[in-house]
Amino acid sequence: MKDDLRSRDPLHEGIFAYSVSCLLSRDREIEGNELRRFARELMVSVSGTCFHYGAIDIGHIKAYIETGTGFLYADTLGDAGDVTIEGREGDAVRSFRLVLNSVIYGITEEAVKEATEEALERTISGFGLSRQPVAPKVIPLYRPEGGRHDG
Amino acid sequence: MKLVQIAGYLGSGKTTLVIALSKGLSRSGLKVAILVNEIGEIPVDGKVIEDYGFTVKDIGGGCICCQIAGNLTRTLRFLGDEQNPDLVIIEPTGMAVPGSIRETVEALNIDIGPTIVLFDTTRSEKLLNYETLKRLISTQIRDADFIALSKIDKVSEDVIEHASEAVSVINPAAGIIRLSTRRGDGVMTLATAVQEVTIKK
Repeated sequence: MKDDLRSRDPLHEGIFAYSVSCLLSRDREIEGNELRRFARELMVSVSGTCFHYGAIDIGHIKAYIETGTGFLYADTLGDAGDVTIEGREGDAVRSFRLVLNSVIYGITEEAVKEATEEALERTISGFGLSRQPVAPKVIPLYRPEGGRHDG
Repeated sequence: MKLVQIAGYLGSGKTTLVIALSKGLSRSGLKVAILVNEIGEIPVDGKVIEDYGFTVKDIGGGCICCQIAGNLTRTLRFLGDEQNPDLVIIEPTGMAVPGSIRETVEALNIDIGPTIVLFDTTRSEKLLNYETLKRLISTQIRDADFIALSKIDKVSEDVIEHASEAVSVINPAAGIIRLSTRRGDGVMTLATAVQEVTIKK
């Protein structure tokens, strides 16, 4: 993240985001209903892990899953029963693209990254998937010291 | 080209409302462009809105209210020159201060319509309880022309009343609309408000 893209607005204090994009695959085909289950478990796992790390509020956790013929998106604000999953399942696939975005209030940016990665790896493992490495990104949103501010 | 902001804290239902409003306004013949600003560097909301068949300009990598206001300026100029829409709907990040975005847009001599700020009634206690969040959300509410009390289908009448009183104290001048995008409550009211200012131009 470029340093000059960091927010210095004190109203943004304590809110940090982490985004990750990866390709997930396995030998056995994944049906649409299993993709939905994966998305739901991922939402619950990331939010639960963030709370475990001390999060005060889940700003949001959002993700989408893209296959050749399907597109599912999921989000949660942290209540286990309150996961929304919409979109089309499409045909069974052996690989799919996942984009995941966590915005959390009350823990450090490093903790947002660690919690999200920990939950993602656990969910991937639980579904017997393997992950192609894609460089993750930490998005720091607040930096109290000065600097250029183009707003 | 008129511009409308759909602002509000993270998870308040902005994307869902943008989709619902865009559907209605497009059906009424308006040429609508959607500009989405997301906190994460890899956009999710823009992709979801595109899945509904709308063209989206995605501004990622920071908040347009403070970090990348220059990107907003360039994107709006591009939209005006290349697409000339009747209406641009901006969905800023959940951390954005609507007044700052308004200032940026006004400097471009673009007509700005109402600022709609969503307030999540399912989390009203929490959002107005923690000091930092309270400062941010109060600032967002103060900048609103309309405050949409969102997700009213998930809470009791008492909770809605309490939320309504809380936001009225912060911004007594704003119109308050009860919104359940899922059920359709309030969407038509907001669409009409947006349509009126767009047609006036």
